[in-house]
Amino acid sequence: MLLQAFAISPLLMVGIGAMLLMMAEAFSKVRGGLALGAAAVCFAGVACAAGVWMYGVETIPGIDAFSPWLRVDRFSLFFDALLCLGAGLSCLMAGGYLPEHNLDRGEFYSLLLLSTFGAMILSAAGDVLTLFLGLETMSLGVYCLAAFRRASARSSEGALKYFLLGSFAAALLLYGFALLYGVTGHTDLQGIGDAMAKGNIRNPMAIMGLVLILVGLAFKVSAVPFHMWTPDAYEGAPTPATNFMAVAVKGAAFAMMLRVLLTAFGDPRSASWASGWPPALAWIAVITMTVANLVAGRQESVKRMLAYSSVAHAGYILVGMVATMHSATQASAGVLFYLLTYTVSTAGAFGALILCGRRGAEAVTYEDLAGIGRRHPAAALPFAFFLLSLAGVPPTAGFFGKWFVFRSAMEGGFYWLTIIAFINSVIGAYYYLRVLVFMYMREPAAGAPVATPMRSGYVTAALILSAVLVIALGLTPTKSLSVVFQAAAIFGG
Amino acid sequence: MDSLLSVFPSKDFSLLGIILAAPLLGAFVNGVWGRRLGRDAVRLMAITAIAVSFGAALLTFLALDREVTHAGHGHVKLAWTAWDWLYTTGKSETQIPIALRFSVDALSGVMMLVITGVGLLIHIYASTYMWDDKSYWRFFCYLNLFVFSMLVLVLGDNMPLLFVGWEGVGLCSYLLIGFWYGKMANAAAGKKAFIANRIGDFGLICAMFLFVHYTGALDWNGIEAGSGSLVTVNEATQVHVWPIGGGQFTGFLKFLQPDSPITITAATAVGLALLLGATGKSAQIPLYVWLPDAMAGPTPVSALIHAATMVTAGIYLICRLNFVFVLAPGVMATVAVIGAATAFLAATIALVQNDIKKVLAYSTVSQLGFMFLGVGMGAFTAGFFHVFTHAFFKACLFLGAGSVIHGMHARIHDDDKAQDMRKMGGLRKYMPLTFWTFLISTAAIVGFPLTSGFFSKDEILFKTMTTELVHPDAERLGKKVTFVQSLWGARDPSHFYVPPAWLGTALYWVGIAAATMTAFYMSRVVILTFFGEFRGWKLGRPSQIDAHEAAAHDDAHGDDAHGDDDGEHHHEEDLTKPGYAPHESPRPMTIPLILLAVFAAFAGILNPGLLKHFGLPLPLEHWLEPLFEESVKVGVHAKEGAEHMELMCTAGAFGAFAVGVGLAYWVYVVQKGAPAKQWAEAAPKLYKLLLDKWRVDEAYEASVLSGVDALADTATSVDKGVVDGILARLTALLVAAFGTILRALQTGVVHVYAGMMVVGLAGLGWFFVMPHPDGHVVEKGSGDYSIVAAPGVGYGYIWAEDGAKKPEKEVFSGTAAFPLHVEPGNTKKVELKVRNAFGIVGTKTFEVTAPAKAAPAEVIEMGQNGHGS
Repeated sequence: MLLQAFAISPLLMVGIGAMLLMMAEAFSKVRGGLALGAAAVCFAGVACAAGVWMYGVETIPGIDAFSPWLRVDRFSLFFDALLCLGAGLSCLMAGGYLPEHNLDRGEFYSLLLLSTFGAMILSAAGDVLTLFLGLETMSLGVYCLAAFRRASARSSEGALKYFLLGSFAAALLLYGFALLYGVTGHTDLQGIGDAMAKGNIRNPMAIMGLVLILVGLAFKVSAVPFHMWTPDAYEGAPTPATNFMAVAVKGAAFAMMLRVLLTAFGDPRSASWASGWPPALAWIAVITMTVANLVAGRQESVKRMLAYSSVAHAGYILVGMVATMHSATQASAGVLFYLLTYTVSTAGAFGALILCGRRGAEAVTYEDLAGIGRRHPAAALPFAFFLLSLAGVPPTAGFFGKWFVFRSAMEGGFYWLTIIAFINSVIGAYYYLRVLVFMYMREPAAGAPVATPMRSGYVTAALILSAVLVIALGLTPTKSLSVVFQAAAIFGG
Repeated sequence: MDSLLSVFPSKDFSLLGIILAAPLLGAFVNGVWGRRLGRDAVRLMAITAIAVSFGAALLTFLALDREVTHAGHGHVKLAWTAWDWLYTTGKSETQIPIALRFSVDALSGVMMLVITGVGLLIHIYASTYMWDDKSYWRFFCYLNLFVFSMLVLVLGDNMPLLFVGWEGVGLCSYLLIGFWYGKMANAAAGKKAFIANRIGDFGLICAMFLFVHYTGALDWNGIEAGSGSLVTVNEATQVHVWPIGGGQFTGFLKFLQPDSPITITAATAVGLALLLGATGKSAQIPLYVWLPDAMAGPTPVSALIHAATMVTAGIYLICRLNFVFVLAPGVMATVAVIGAATAFLAATIALVQNDIKKVLAYSTVSQLGFMFLGVGMGAFTAGFFHVFTHAFFKACLFLGAGSVIHGMHARIHDDDKAQDMRKMGGLRKYMPLTFWTFLISTAAIVGFPLTSGFFSKDEILFKTMTTELVHPDAERLGKKVTFVQSLWGARDPSHFYVPPAWLGTALYWVGIAAATMTAFYMSRVVILTFFGEFRGWKLGRPSQIDAHEAAAHDDAHGDDAHGDDDGEHHHEEDLTKPGYAPHESPRPMTIPLILLAVFAAFAGILNPGLLKHFGLPLPLEHWLEPLFEESVKVGVHAKEGAEHMELMCTAGAFGAFAVGVGLAYWVYVVQKGAPAKQWAEAAPKLYKLLLDKWRVDEAYEASVLSGVDALADTATSVDKGVVDGILARLTALLVAAFGTILRALQTGVVHVYAGMMVVGLAGLGWFFVMPHPDGHVVEKGSGDYSIVAAPGVGYGYIWAEDGAKKPEKEVFSGTAAFPLHVEPGNTKKVELKVRNAFGIVGTKTFEVTAPAKAAPAEVIEMGQNGHGS
């Protein structure tokens, strides 16, 4: 019993932590410190996940007691750690951002932690019911976070759009699950997968279920053309919440995608290269990468550019998803590694963007950043560094993330897909480097408002943590690779 | 020391991490915060970093010594693996690890001490020399980074890591040559150095590929273990020189195909590739041209990088891989010949140069030539010993020259004029410390008996005279051929080439000639600079100097041009007015000079080869023996009666010294330089040729560079016209246009967003509702094939072979695979009909052609997504 509680300690840690923080916020007269508390909860979650990992989750007796509702395995532990890391970095950023921009209301942290809790459930769910519960727990928190800047019309607008479209997508997903339950009589993913593999079911309904589920998944990972809420919601939300959406929500959505597609639709007919979900995902990946990169290049707002960049990265990850049809373990390991590198690079970029602005003069557009490299090198240097990682320049983490995903796609024989992904990462480099051009080679126009960096220990801590991880992942990818391979091993083959 | 080894076990000697990390930290701190820290903090950081590194290196060396004593005999290593870096795949799918692994053994131990020790002294010197430079912090950032890179080069335990350091020192050299990048010439010199080095790097990269392929390893131990496979009598596994890579010329190119392919052993190929790398870094023919220009950098840089450490990397590389080089006696001979030729050529140029740093630069090239000569003749210890002693005396000479220039800068602010020896003279009186240290170092370089240079250079010459190269595998291989035969003779891989025995004798005399010239031009430098009357400006008593001058003098340091990015604001002074005499440099500059001079004088006792008959020990030779012993045993053969030739060789070398110095004394002191003028007038063309450095730069300009230029021009016009003009603009236009269109879709209206989702849903639905007939052909051999249809949920299949009757009623009950037999040379068409779960049918036709021979089948797919009922 105690060991079972230990096995789900990351979940318990974040869930209970969220409750306690809410209590503390409501009843304590002491202000401040919530950011530190929330970050501590998240990093404790990382530590718990690491502890269970090292203890060896397979050796815990009775670990199947949670099945199929929660699958506590190395895959979910990896995502526990990853999501908690992303959430923790967001909390640290919020600790600097919210007071600076007069948004310092305590519910932010409880919402964020509850949302993380939902995301962790989502990554561990082995049954469509828990999956949906986790999804909604996560999404509701994120809707609120996106609307957190109540004084800003953009924030409310973006959040409302996100909410409306998110409900639409959730309804489609639910409908897809209902159809599958109808034809297979199962709500657990393994049961659905077994029934699909046997094949003596009413196929048209199953196929329609797959289509609806794909749409729901594509919405959550913000793949084109289900991405249109992304820029508005990302731009309107306070930047730490944007970071949370880009990092944790997307990570959990990919965890859900991996589990659903590989467990429930892993049979050769559903995963057929001619007519199954891989070609559909390949098309979505191509459209996602291309559209996102083209539009990102035309943005004037850096925050919006980063929003499109996160859409483009979803496209690269989808390339890895497609490759899972040939080698489930290796390709999904590539996806997990990409998510890891994407998390630390994106968090760093958003953190640096936060650091570049202060109250009343938030850095938003390219023009705001003009010349900041000369005036405030300490703020510009990390920004440049994380953008290079996002662009995939060696020896940063981003390079190896792309390298492993593209390599698994090449080994799967998806040459044209890889080539398109390569071309897209070249286009992507354009708008990342454009930021560098503005920061280091342009001077602000006369009389134009210039961004002045804020000072915050919280944000600095988040940046240092991300920078260390980006360098470490770039220089020694071997160790973290062995971790993702163990996590991906649950898919076998 | 035992306690040290218990903290750092020899297999995990993490103290190496500190040696490496300290300079890196210094570079990082000075690079990031240097501008704000101020000069004092920068100086403290830089010097402390190197001092810590030196201290750790000293401890490491002592620990290594202890290990050697414990082990008795054999190759002892202290190694530390930072982490596993990457893997590469070798032949037959073997995994070759490339670890971030550092190790120190006898060879790298000495190098490490030289780098950190001489580096420390030069850092101290430079902290004063560069004091007035605006970019003080930048200088020390680069300098620390250089020391770090050089340590990586030396301590790296595998080829890739050495290459990282190799590139790192190249980069730092580039940055420091062009340190005053405001001047066009400096920037050009930096570029030249970088490009020449890049050519060499190409060789190094090729060598790495060959190592991976032939030895299956990239770390030193692995290469040594696998070096046997570098020599093979099997023609197929040798390196094909012509046709390149072992291809075949066919068609109208057939006349290019030789009767039998021209091959060389892998050892020869890898040796030549490494040699190319070494000639680049160590400034040998044909890539030496960058080094003299590199003197545009600050003088401490010339001393540290372009004399004492970096340029010896090539010799280090050859010593490190000595077991590879001895497998190819032809390459060894090439190394020796290149070394001797470079020593001679550079010495001739140095005879007539007037710029003090240029003379020293050519003398460095020349001395590096001696080192190549040594290692090329298999005298690895002697060659490396010269690296060691040269580091001291050449660093001292450069720093002394820097001190002189520092003094000249009191009134001459133009760099070129301040370095001109014709403006110096008599400085002995004004700069006594500089004079004495310079004199001692000169004594060492010209081989004054019992100084360090005497022992190291004479050892090289003695070994050159008395050894001949042999092939380690001569017995196994077979027939010995001449050089000409080895290239154009009857091709037989078992033939091998061994340089003739007279090679050593010939190279000895070339070396003696170069040594004579060395003695002459170095004496000339000393005489012109330190003796006679001062020719820089009119000297006067303080009473004769007006107040303005006096004030300027007080402020002399604050105004010295040598440390300034922009020498523009310096007006040239009227040198006919009387001024203060040049004065001795401050103590932080003279103390390193003294220490270096002490080493230059006495470092010879570490390997006094000529005195071994008097019972003196040879510590360095004994120390390095485990590394070179095996190679020397198999690759080098001492001529008969070698021991009796020792005195004769020494006499020759001493003669070279005596003749050179005596002649210089006669020309420049007794005759006051008159004969030099007469000779120049007697052979004006030769003099001009020497002054113009044999016009090698111009020859390169006319041959290689003009070709490259022409190519670049063509590429530029294509780039401007086609790539930029059409392609780039077109793609930019397309990208921008699509971006704008797509952006316009992002209206902000939520209905549109939901509408797009519906479009996406409809698209996905369409994809899944439509059938996708697809498949691939599997060849089963002997004309049997199987066409395997792609699976799909609820798919049913009908197969119809071409010409077969169509059934009345279509029943989609076929299997997913369709067997097929095709006679050789025939073609068959098969039609696949697929009905999916929604009852929609699609067809696809496969065409299978069986080839006439047993080549793989050619499959043409003629797909079309027909759909009907």
